[in-house]
Amino acid sequence: MLVQMNRISLTLLAGAVLTLAGCSDAGNSSFVYGPTTLALFREAQYGTRDAPGVRDLLDERFGDPQQLRAWSKLPIDAGGIFGSVAVTPGDSGPVTKLQLEFEQPLNAFSDSEESRYLQFVTGEAAKADSGPLRAILIGWDSRDGTAHLQSKLEIIPAAGDRVIVDGGIRLQRGRVLYQRHCSHCHGTSGDGAGPTAEYLFPRPRDYRRGIFKFTLAQAQMKASRSDLKRILRNGIPGTYMPSFVPMLDEDELDDIVEYIRFLAMRGEFEFLLGGELAADFSSKVMRNRMSRKGDEEGEKKEDIVAEFTEGIGDAVEFVGDRIADEWTQADTEEAMIVPSVPRIPDSLQSRRLGRELFVGKSFGCSDCHGISGRGDGPQTTIFEKIPRTDVYFEEPGLHDEWGNVNQPRDLTRGIYRGGRRPIDLFARIHGGIKGTRMPSFGKEGHENIWHLVNYVLSIPFENEPGRSAAVESK
Amino acid sequence: MKKFWALFFFFWPAVAIVVSWIAPDRSWWFPSEAMSPLGERIDGLFYLILGIVTFAFVGTQIALGWALWKSAAADEGEKAEFTHGNHNLEVIWTFVPAFILVFIALYQMDVWMEFRVQSQFPKEARESMAVAEVTARQFEWRIRYAAPRKALQNEPERDDLYAVNELHVPSGRPVKFNLRSGDVQHAFFAPELRVKQDAVPGLIIPVWFEIPIPGEYELLCAELCGWGHYKMRATIVAETEEVFQQYLKDLEQQQNFDGTATEEESDE
Repeated sequence: MLVQMNRISLTLLAGAVLTLAGCSDAGNSSFVYGPTTLALFREAQYGTRDAPGVRDLLDERFGDPQQLRAWSKLPIDAGGIFGSVAVTPGDSGPVTKLQLEFEQPLNAFSDSEESRYLQFVTGEAAKADSGPLRAILIGWDSRDGTAHLQSKLEIIPAAGDRVIVDGGIRLQRGRVLYQRHCSHCHGTSGDGAGPTAEYLFPRPRDYRRGIFKFTLAQAQMKASRSDLKRILRNGIPGTYMPSFVPMLDEDELDDIVEYIRFLAMRGEFEFLLGGELAADFSSKVMRNRMSRKGDEEGEKKEDIVAEFTEGIGDAVEFVGDRIADEWTQADTEEAMIVPSVPRIPDSLQSRRLGRELFVGKSFGCSDCHGISGRGDGPQTTIFEKIPRTDVYFEEPGLHDEWGNVNQPRDLTRGIYRGGRRPIDLFARIHGGIKGTRMPSFGKEGHENIWHLVNYVLSIPFENEPGRSAAVESK
Repeated sequence: MKKFWALFFFFWPAVAIVVSWIAPDRSWWFPSEAMSPLGERIDGLFYLILGIVTFAFVGTQIALGWALWKSAAADEGEKAEFTHGNHNLEVIWTFVPAFILVFIALYQMDVWMEFRVQSQFPKEARESMAVAEVTARQFEWRIRYAAPRKALQNEPERDDLYAVNELHVPSGRPVKFNLRSGDVQHAFFAPELRVKQDAVPGLIIPVWFEIPIPGEYELLCAELCGWGHYKMRATIVAETEEVFQQYLKDLEQQQNFDGTATEEESDE
C-alpha cells in the first residue's frame, strides 16, 4: 500500500524545527542504512539490471520520512478508513462522483478545504502502471453515500473495489509526534543514535533489531502494542526514558506505538535480510570468492551477481514472512505470560525459598546479581566475545545484543525498569529480558518464580544479604 | 510640529494603559482566577502592587506629558530656565518609594511565611502527615504514596504505592507533600494554585496547598532542567477524601496485579 502524505505540511514542520535548532540544513530527513546493508557488495546494495538491491527494497517497502510506505505484508495499522465502491459508475461521461460505503463512519463534509485522499486498494484501479489510483475527495455526503472527486477518474472502478480514505494517517501522525518527542534520542531511523543519545547512559534503544527489553511476552517474542504503550505511559525508571502522559493523549500514544513498530520492522527487515545475504554477498566474501585459490580460478563476478539476482526474491519473502508472523504473534493472547498460579502470598517462608533459588543452581541469579543482589556477581567481571566473532569486547562485563555493557540490575535499589508489579517481575524472570543476558526461566515452575519474586521484592529492605528471609523487617 | 511630538509621546503610554485595562476581561495574558485560598491572597498582593505601580505610572506619565506640552506650547522667544535641582523634591522622591517598598516588604510577610515557613503552615498542614512524596527527575514527576491508612516515611516502605505524572490529593483541606529531586534542580509549579517551589537535590522540602474545588490542575517544571524541560508536565488531581482513598486502593490493587485476575491490560 502506498502511503502518501501532505508534503507541504511536513516541509513546513521540518523547516520550523530546524530553524529553532539553528540548523541550516535542508528540511528533509531520511532513514539511514544500517551496517548490515553497507557491508554488502555494490550490486547487492544498489541492485542489478534484473533485481533490486537492499537499498531499493527498503525504499520501496518503507519509503523515507517524507513519504512513508507501509508494506502490506507486515502487520502495521497505517490508519485510514476502509470502504468499498457501492455502485459501478455508468459510462456516461467522466466520473467525478462515486457511490461508496465505509466500514467506519466518515463524517460528512463539503468544503474543499477539508479535502482528503482516497485510494483504490483492490480492482483495476489499484493495479495501474503508475501505482494505485488516487483521487482527492472534496466532498462526502454520508446520507446518500456520494463522494465528490476533485477531478475525473482515469480508470473506472467497479462495485466491490476496496478503497481507503486518509490511508496511512496513523503513521503520518505517529511520524510527526515521533520526530518531535522521540527522535532526538532514538534517531530518525530508530537507530538509538539521535543527537542527545551520546550523553545518555543507558543508551536509548536501537529499534532496528526489533527487540524490546521489557515486555509481558514469552521469551524471544516481540513486543505487543500494549507493551510499547505501557512503556510510553510509565517511562522506564532508572533510565532517561520519561513518561509521556499527560503530555500525549491515548490516540497520540497509539500513533507513536504504530510508528515505532513500523521503524522496528523496517530495521529488522534490513538486519535479517543483511544477515541472509552476508554469508555470500558481503564485499569481504565477494573479494574472497573472486580471488584465485591455489590452482582454482576465482568465481566470476557475473556468476555471483546472477546468484544474487536469483536468490534475492526468496530471501525477501522469507524475511518478510518471518517478521510478519512474529509481530502478529506478539499481539495475540498466547504470547502473553500468564502465571498458571496466582502470586504466592509474601511470607518469610516464601522469601526463604526464593532466597534459596536465588543462590541455587537452577536459577543461578547470584552468578550475575551477586549474593547480596547488588548486581555484582562473578559473571560481571568476565570478558565476553562479540557475538558471531572470535574477538573479545574491550570492557569486561555482560553485554547486550546491541554491544553495550549491560550489567545486571542492582536489586537493592528498588528501581524496576520494566515495572514493579508482581506480574512485571514475574515476566522478567519467566521471559527474560529480551536482547540481554537475563535469560528466560519459564521452565523452572511458576511457583518457584513467585517465591523468587517475593524474595527479590524484599531485597531493598534487607540490611544484610538474605536477612529479609529470616526476620520480618518493619 | 512640537505639539505633535508632545501628543505623540503622550499617546503611547495612554495606549499602554487602555490595553492593560481591557486585557483581563479579554483574558489576553492576565493570570486566571487563583484556585486556592493562599493563591487568592498571593493574587491580592499582586493586585496591590499592580495598583501602586499603575498609580505611579499614570502619575509620572501625566507629569512628563504636561512638561512636554508646556514646553511645546511655550513662546519661541522664551528662554530656557537653568536649575541645579530641588532638594525638597529629591527628598520626596527618595522617601516616598522607599516607604512604599518597606510597606510592601512588611505587608507580604505573613503570606510568605504561611507558604514557606513550616512553623507558620496552617495547623492542618503542620500537623498532618505528608500525603505524598513528589520526586522530580529528568523529565517527569514520580509520586510515592504510603499504603492506605499508613503514614508516609522518608525511606521507601515495602507497601508504598507509586505513580508517575499524576498527583492525587484530597480537596477541601490543606495538604502537605514532600518535594525531592532525583537529579538536578527542578521547580514544582502549579500555576492555578500559585504554588512554585524549587526541588533541590539532597533536600526534602515540605510544600502545602489547599484546593477547595475537586478537579484537575496543571503541574509544570519551572526551572530549566535540561533539554526535555518542556516535557515535564503532570496533572494534580484534587478529589474528595473518599475518592482519594478509593484511588489509593485502586492503585494498590493495580500495583499488586499478578497477571492472573481478569483485569484488562488497558486499565493500568
